[in-house]
Amino acid sequence: MSVYNDERVPEDAMHPGPEGHISGMGVLPTALKQALVQPEQLRKTPPCNAGCAGGGDVRGWISLVAQRRKLGLSDASACTQAWNVITEVNPFPATLGRICPHPCEDGCNRGDKDGAVSINALERFLGDWALQRGLKLAVAERGNCSESVGVIGAGPAGLSFAYQMARRGYRVTIYEKQERPGGMLYFGIPEYRLPGTVLAAEIERILALGVELRLNTAIGRDVTVQQLRDMHQVVFIGIGAGAGLKLGIPGEDGAGVWTGTEFLSQLNRGSKLELGANVVVVGGGNTAMDAARAARRTGARVSMLYRRTRIEMPAIETEIDDALEEGVDIAYLTAPVAILREGGIVRSVRVQRMELGEADRSGRRKPVPVIGSEQDIPASAVIAAVSQEPDWEGLGELRDGKIWIHAGSNGALGDGVWAGGDALGLGIAGLAISQGRKAAEAVHAKLRGLPTQSISDGTGAADEPTPKPEYYAAIPRSSSPYRDVSSRLANPDLEVQQTINARAFFEEVSRCFSCGSCFGCEQCYMYCNGGGFSKLQEVAPGRYFSLSLDTCESCGKCVELCPCGYLSARPGLRSNEART
Amino acid sequence: MSSAGLGKTYADGEVIVRQGETGDCMFAIQKGQLEVVKHSKDGEARVAVLEEGEIFGEMAIFEREVRSATVRALGEARVLTVDKKTFLRRIQEDPSLAFNLVQMMSRRIRRLSGEIADLRPGSVPRSQDTLALTEAERQIERRKRPDRRVNSDRRTGERRRGTERRGVASASAKKD
Amino acid sequence: MKLGARTGGQSRGIATYFEEASERLALEDGSRVGVIGGGPAGSFFAYFALKMARSAGIDISVDVYEARLFDQRGPAGCNHCGGVVSESLVQLLATEGINLPPTVVRRGIESYVLHTDVGRVLINTPLEEKRIAAVYRGNGPKESEPVEIAGFDRFLLDLAISAGANVVRKLVTGFDWDHGRPQIMTPDGAESTYDLVAVAAGVNSHIVKTLNSRDADYQPPETLRAFISEFHLGEATINECLGNSMHVFLLDLPRLEFAALIPKGEFATLCLLGDDVDEELIESFLATREVKACFPGNVVPAPVCHCFPRINVRAAVRPYADRIVWIGDSGVNRLFKDGIGSAYRTAKAAAKTVVFRGISRADFERGFWPECRNLIMDNWIAKLIFGVTTLIQRVRFLRRGVLRMTALEQQREGRKRLMSSVLWDVFTGSAPYKEILLRTFHPMFPLRLAWNLVAGNVVRTKEQGVREEAQ
Repeated sequence: MSVYNDERVPEDAMHPGPEGHISGMGVLPTALKQALVQPEQLRKTPPCNAGCAGGGDVRGWISLVAQRRKLGLSDASACTQAWNVITEVNPFPATLGRICPHPCEDGCNRGDKDGAVSINALERFLGDWALQRGLKLAVAERGNCSESVGVIGAGPAGLSFAYQMARRGYRVTIYEKQERPGGMLYFGIPEYRLPGTVLAAEIERILALGVELRLNTAIGRDVTVQQLRDMHQVVFIGIGAGAGLKLGIPGEDGAGVWTGTEFLSQLNRGSKLELGANVVVVGGGNTAMDAARAARRTGARVSMLYRRTRIEMPAIETEIDDALEEGVDIAYLTAPVAILREGGIVRSVRVQRMELGEADRSGRRKPVPVIGSEQDIPASAVIAAVSQEPDWEGLGELRDGKIWIHAGSNGALGDGVWAGGDALGLGIAGLAISQGRKAAEAVHAKLRGLPTQSISDGTGAADEPTPKPEYYAAIPRSSSPYRDVSSRLANPDLEVQQTINARAFFEEVSRCFSCGSCFGCEQCYMYCNGGGFSKLQEVAPGRYFSLSLDTCESCGKCVELCPCGYLSARPGLRSNEART
Repeated sequence: MSSAGLGKTYADGEVIVRQGETGDCMFAIQKGQLEVVKHSKDGEARVAVLEEGEIFGEMAIFEREVRSATVRALGEARVLTVDKKTFLRRIQEDPSLAFNLVQMMSRRIRRLSGEIADLRPGSVPRSQDTLALTEAERQIERRKRPDRRVNSDRRTGERRRGTERRGVASASAKKD
Repeated sequence: MKLGARTGGQSRGIATYFEEASERLALEDGSRVGVIGGGPAGSFFAYFALKMARSAGIDISVDVYEARLFDQRGPAGCNHCGGVVSESLVQLLATEGINLPPTVVRRGIESYVLHTDVGRVLINTPLEEKRIAAVYRGNGPKESEPVEIAGFDRFLLDLAISAGANVVRKLVTGFDWDHGRPQIMTPDGAESTYDLVAVAAGVNSHIVKTLNSRDADYQPPETLRAFISEFHLGEATINECLGNSMHVFLLDLPRLEFAALIPKGEFATLCLLGDDVDEELIESFLATREVKACFPGNVVPAPVCHCFPRINVRAAVRPYADRIVWIGDSGVNRLFKDGIGSAYRTAKAAAKTVVFRGISRADFERGFWPECRNLIMDNWIAKLIFGVTTLIQRVRFLRRGVLRMTALEQQREGRKRLMSSVLWDVFTGSAPYKEILLRTFHPMFPLRLAWNLVAGNVVRTKEQGVREEAQ
């Protein structure tokens, strides 16, 4: 029955030896050492932080709320502290909580389990919460910072720069040629996505730090560049990219045709636009999408023309869905070749079918016209939202001749001039805000003779944390609720999405894995046989236990158990004297 | 044969206990099916088919009688032996150990009573109700062991009735 | 009042009865039971308590607190032990209607090989049947075989769930009393109050210490450090080198109490028990040629997984109080062997007590403690037996005698297997130690041992033959 086989054992092994065993170094030392695992407490950068264009410590502020019980914080003070962490880098949580395409959620480790944490909805909740309570932006530690700073443009980059300088004690003046601050945040985004009151309230909080805002003041017209240089030690260019590009096709000039930015800014100013019954929107980006949806709210039939397919479309995915839901018609692989007018009035758009050819430099496949595929589609108005570029009017002296600014690190242009935002290249608002902040950090460091260091550096080691999703209980994702299509169309300014309620907020917060940072689950402490983990008296997110390797048995259990990936393995063997 | 799994593996037709022999153990079926066969001067008759999870031979634990029937494998089967010694030693300390056995035996008695009633001459044919009862019991059993094959239950039920009705001792279940 | 005065005696009697009834601590419909730990003791307790409560017509709910589902490979999903379900427990579970499926049983063990420096001997069961189950407590070692396997602990937890237990996937981090009722705290700050709490937290987690400080009477068990590691050898190599046998080593190494190599699927589990096992002891153990000879090419490979779990070597003091009971390793356990069997015994005794007797300290004293006491008494005898095996380990001529006697018994059909059965039960943990001791009082035992001692050591010429026959 037994397969026990004796032949295998060499003769001498079976022969009784003089005193049994062979002493000395056996197989263990090297063999076992290879298998030994010692833990290391290593904070790692989570995918949300890595993905945040604004450089926000997403895990940091979520942790304050998620771990509030362990930290001994009330709900209110946890939310306040979390809001303070956000506003360290981003003074617009209520705004970005509404409009940010939230790249932070893309890499969320929760994604594959039951959906990424709704970081955007959480930020929006905290933003609204702070506005309701009238929370003020925190000032930074102030030294003797009396230098004067001039900012061109009250868009996200300029306001962010102004905020970061003002809270450090600098005297800041913002020059804005329009009659309202906000830049593209105000003029480029329709009310149904971002109510003007929300944006205004967040800007007001920045101005409350003592920032002077001079509206209707264009550089080159009302103030010369030289005056600007004389008044301020530092000048920040945050002029954005507000000039919409034209299509360059026949029939474009004249009434009934707008660029996307023109259209949206006039709409936001409350101008009455005569669009007629058939609006054709050209383009596939967010401005095109905003224009199309805004036009749809006038009751017109809206057709979007995009020369590639949905896969290549740069607009936010959910915005495309929302537009389709609201009845916007999207014609893919279609490009306009001419705008046809009758008596100067736009009557139709001649379009051409496209097909995708070789990939271009951006990696997207280049559309190629299909010969003989022209046809006319009825149009009463055309909105061309294909691209934008900076408007350099009056700023020639600051310009190096190129359309886009090519700045050094942190937006430095030399000679006390810095830049940030869309003027460096089109990006999302979060990026502009972060460029404004980084420029301010660099300016501050330079003026004070400090080493340049950014608050968004060092939220953890570069190693990617690998949390264990199976540890966490399944909780369905809750995101900002939608209003139904009919009420959206009936009430053009009605916000499409609503802020989640407090209950949903606290539940959503609890979904965070806290990737790469201890959240005090106590598993290591509970299961370590050697008793290597001790509870800390003063706790903080990421800091709940101290670790001593003196009694470590190198079994690696703590590393395997650690659900968030904070503990990692470091190879090594405990020293013999450590064992008592 | 896999190294995993407990008990002893029996080939199709191999005898686990033989009628008339003395025994000092009972058995728990780990895998497969067994048939219980009674020998008489007329030949042999199958009295039951035992399924995975069932216990048999328990009479030998409680009384000093010879095995009342022969049990053999129906296809390959794996069976675990439970020693009388182990069982009796433990039941002194924990009489509730018998609970599962008593439950099982009472189920068998109920089934047998039903069958006897059916066999009595002039009795009303087995009603749907009694069938439903045993089927319900079996479903409870089945729920306890989700891996158990569902079809085999009904099949053995039909076989049993078939042989009983004819009353022919040598009737083979396979004829059904 | 008058009426009351007239029937005074009687009404007092009824009052006293009701007073007693209201003060009597017992589970009733709607009672909530919390179980700390979902290892074997916790799962067995939940399973039996729910089954018995149902048969007694009481509707109770049972929450088992277990943060892990034992589905991770490696130490994280494992409850650290050699993973042997003893011959007696396998039979008892079968009687209870609990059969271990092949996905859980990584190998059925049918024999033992006793290794000593003077040779080795195979001890077979008379039935030649696999009645010992080698299992993984978790979901197998690190990098374990990619076949469908199930851990023993998970199997039992599922059994408890099928009986109606609710698993709370949270770590227990605190314990308190809430108006005389036990309260369980979890890291998320939640607190749950129960009518009864069963502590089945083992000896390898911090919670036992937390509970200790809360209850003056209970003192946790004394523990020793053991060593367990897993070697990846592959199924074919295991079949060839180890077979379906558990390999036990009687080696003259200081501080070594017991050592076994248990084959399972593609892995072999090494289990070392002794007086605080450390690397020095492991090193000298793995360096012996008896151990090396069990591995292919006489080389011990690097283990894929290892741990130094604590084992219960001295029972907890007073493992019960009103509304609380300690079972399994955190209560009373059998010395060195069959820890899972002890978990089954204490868990079932506790379940019977709480359902049929009550949940007060006095109820546990009468219903639960006797089972613990039996284990403790038997452990005294165990110490004597292990003293003898240590003596055999130390004294070479004894080893020769024992080996020879066993070998001859194994070789001759029908011969009364005195030494074999003693060794079998000592190593498998199948019978109570008391019974093993009694067996050595068989008149033939000392006589035959004496002869073998002489024959094994003096008649050297015969020895070679014996070894050959034995193997």
